[in-house]
Amino acid sequence: MPKAPSSNELLPLTPPVFHILLALAHEDRHGYGIMQDVAQQTEGSLQLGPGTLYGCLKRMLAAGMVEECDERPDPSLDDERRRYYRMTPLGKKLVRAEAQRLAGAVTVAMTRLAGESA
Amino acid sequence: MNSDSLWIGGLCRLYGLLLYAYPAGFRREYGRPMQQLFRDRCRDVSRGSGRASALWFALSTISDWVRTAVRERASAAQAAAEKRAPRSSATEWAGTILIYLFATTTLVQAYVVPTGSMEGNLLIGDHILVDRLAYSDPGPLGRRILPYRDIQRGDIAAFLYPEDVRTTYVKRIIGLPGDRIHFENGTVFRNGRRLAEPYTQHIASFPDAYRDNFPRPPEPFTTPRGRDMLEHHVCDGEVIVPPGMLFALGDNRDNSADSRYWGFVPRSYVVGKPVLVYWSYDAPTADFESWNLRHVVDVAQHFFTRTRWNRMLSVPRSQEAQ
Repeated sequence: MPKAPSSNELLPLTPPVFHILLALAHEDRHGYGIMQDVAQQTEGSLQLGPGTLYGCLKRMLAAGMVEECDERPDPSLDDERRRYYRMTPLGKKLVRAEAQRLAGAVTVAMTRLAGESA
Repeated sequence: MNSDSLWIGGLCRLYGLLLYAYPAGFRREYGRPMQQLFRDRCRDVSRGSGRASALWFALSTISDWVRTAVRERASAAQAAAEKRAPRSSATEWAGTILIYLFATTTLVQAYVVPTGSMEGNLLIGDHILVDRLAYSDPGPLGRRILPYRDIQRGDIAAFLYPEDVRTTYVKRIIGLPGDRIHFENGTVFRNGRRLAEPYTQHIASFPDAYRDNFPRPPEPFTTPRGRDMLEHHVCDGEVIVPPGMLFALGDNRDNSADSRYWGFVPRSYVVGKPVLVYWSYDAPTADFESWNLRHVVDVAQHFFTRTRWNRMLSVPRSQEAQ
């Protein structure tokens, strides 16, 4: 197992990682649940394919941002067992830091672009 | 089970095949959930907005598949390389050493010419590479596919000195099995024909009947093998080369311990063909016969001045006598 990188090295987060963490902010989800939630968050502009989603999850598990919690069926789909993921404290810290960074960037952008258009 | 689920099942099986593009470790860990996710999505999309959209989703998955399969392959290869790293240098060295041992024992070997017996062509201190395959037994297959050629008259060959196989000699092969050899006043006659040998050098300081009018009765420095040759293989004043043997002479004809003195060279003692002088250094015979510190110091001090630069990378030539 490679050594987990420090949280500074993990920032900024890529959009898929950021949205996956947001999807796990309040509840544990399985892969398809994450995919649906991310699509909802981004109003359909970010559709995670299976490879992208599980590739990200693999790296996020290695970095300690998420953990697997259990395998259970999702009653809203069928009775097949699905693997559920949960955000770790590190994941929470990172998603907050990223949101802050984005908020800062948005503020700067608003100021500059407002000045430009005026 | 309706037609939709059949149709989706087919797509899922197809996707299951595509998963083989991912590295095995990744596939084992995530293959099943990925397939599950693919099926869930197809099902939802076809339920909501029809079969066409589900197909559209399946097609868009292909671009995801290409990108991520490449990415996972690359990361798996990198992880494997990192894992191997501490061992790889050792194995690489082992490989190098094996190849080196193989190459130096079966393909080429380096020798130093310690004496002036081939002077004119090879000088004392010539460091030569010997092609060990050139005169080796090619075997039934190699004979057809490799450029083998058996020893011919006039070839220069490196061989084990028959009286002491720890030493390697380099001489010119004059007689093949069946050839009749004799000397008249320093000139070689083979099978009754006088040889014109432009490559030889005659710098005799004194006449020597044994040397110049060979064969003669043994002299004190004729070795046991030489005596055996004179005893059993001389007929009508000529040496007859027996099967499996070669008659070898130095080009520095008047100053060469060769077949005249120590007899025939067994064919199997031939090591190979000198192909290249890779370094030539001017120093006395003794320095090349045994290792000594003085020689090392000498080379260190005079490397540039005593190296015979014009001989470097020269090729010792075979030459058929006229």
